[in-house]
Amino acid sequence: MCDFSGKLIAWMDRELADDEAAAVERHVQGCAECRSQVDAFEDMSRALVSYCDAVAELTPRCSLPHWAPMISGAAAVLALLLVFLQPSVKPVPVPLQVVQAQQAISLQTAPRAARPAHPRHAISRKQTPSTNWELAEPAIQIAIPAEAIFPPGAVPEGVNFVAELSIAADGSAQGLRLQP
Amino acid sequence: MSGDSLPLILPLPRFVTESCEATTLYRELRQPLLRYLICLGLSADEAQDVVQDAFLMLHKHLAAGGSQENIRAWLFRVAHNRARNRQQSYDRRFCAPLDSDFDSMADEATPEQAVLEKEKFRRLEEAICLLDQPERECLLLRAGGLRYREIGEVLGIPTSTVGDTVDRAIRKLVEKCHV
Repeated sequence: MCDFSGKLIAWMDRELADDEAAAVERHVQGCAECRSQVDAFEDMSRALVSYCDAVAELTPRCSLPHWAPMISGAAAVLALLLVFLQPSVKPVPVPLQVVQAQQAISLQTAPRAARPAHPRHAISRKQTPSTNWELAEPAIQIAIPAEAIFPPGAVPEGVNFVAELSIAADGSAQGLRLQP
Repeated sequence: MSGDSLPLILPLPRFVTESCEATTLYRELRQPLLRYLICLGLSADEAQDVVQDAFLMLHKHLAAGGSQENIRAWLFRVAHNRARNRQQSYDRRFCAPLDSDFDSMADEATPEQAVLEKEKFRRLEEAICLLDQPERECLLLRAGGLRYREIGEVLGIPTSTVGDTVDRAIRKLVEKCHV
């Protein structure tokens, strides 16, 4: 076997240093045995690439009904419409009854002797059942800086969010909803 | 939006740059990655999953300020390791009886050429089955266009070992197939 035989494939793959590659090239030009080997190696390399292409092409994919892309496309459009056509969030005014209730609470928790309640602050459930603040659905709208919620760079420029925080009657957070 | 809500306007130059790089890499390397994974034995769907995972990791890698050197080898290594985790699929092609359906290949110029081509692939596949695992992996990565240094990074072996392995594997195939 020729001394250069062991370097032929690396030479074909351009993995040899320049001077070494030049030496192999000069040798191959004058050595019929090495030229023949190089031809065989190149044929095999091409066959391998074709084989990989054929295997990748022939490997079956998960077969879907022909209408599946249409259904998924329609679903995507519908989802986008739902997102973008959703009415924008309006400021939610704090219900009057909540304010009144807060005042009532503060009055009730204050020492009665030091500061007696004024009759107009006292809310009697019997007198005004419609202003029962516990039955109302309190809501507070707040704006939170994006940096506090998302990692830096996660929110594209120009996108804003409104966080709608629902608070239960006992003061605990009931729900948080983010809307673009 | 309420008047007292704060507009959340964020400058995102780094995000945009990373996205562009990841998109360019995705266009360039998605197909070679899929081909490599399928040749390793993964199904088309499994290969798609692995490629998506690999590009997701690439995005995180770039976002975290990771090195961008040898990113092609980095991607192939991630995909290769993910494929190895699916060991059952990984071994399927070369340890189970051959079931490649080369008969369904697109017709060649003439029926004779098509028959010859299919026969050549069958013999080649039989010869590939006789290679050991590092030889197969080196050859498939080489067929994907990776340099020896990159193959070494993917498989965790020295570049000189890759050269020796590729040389040995091709000689074996030539000897078996007489292509």
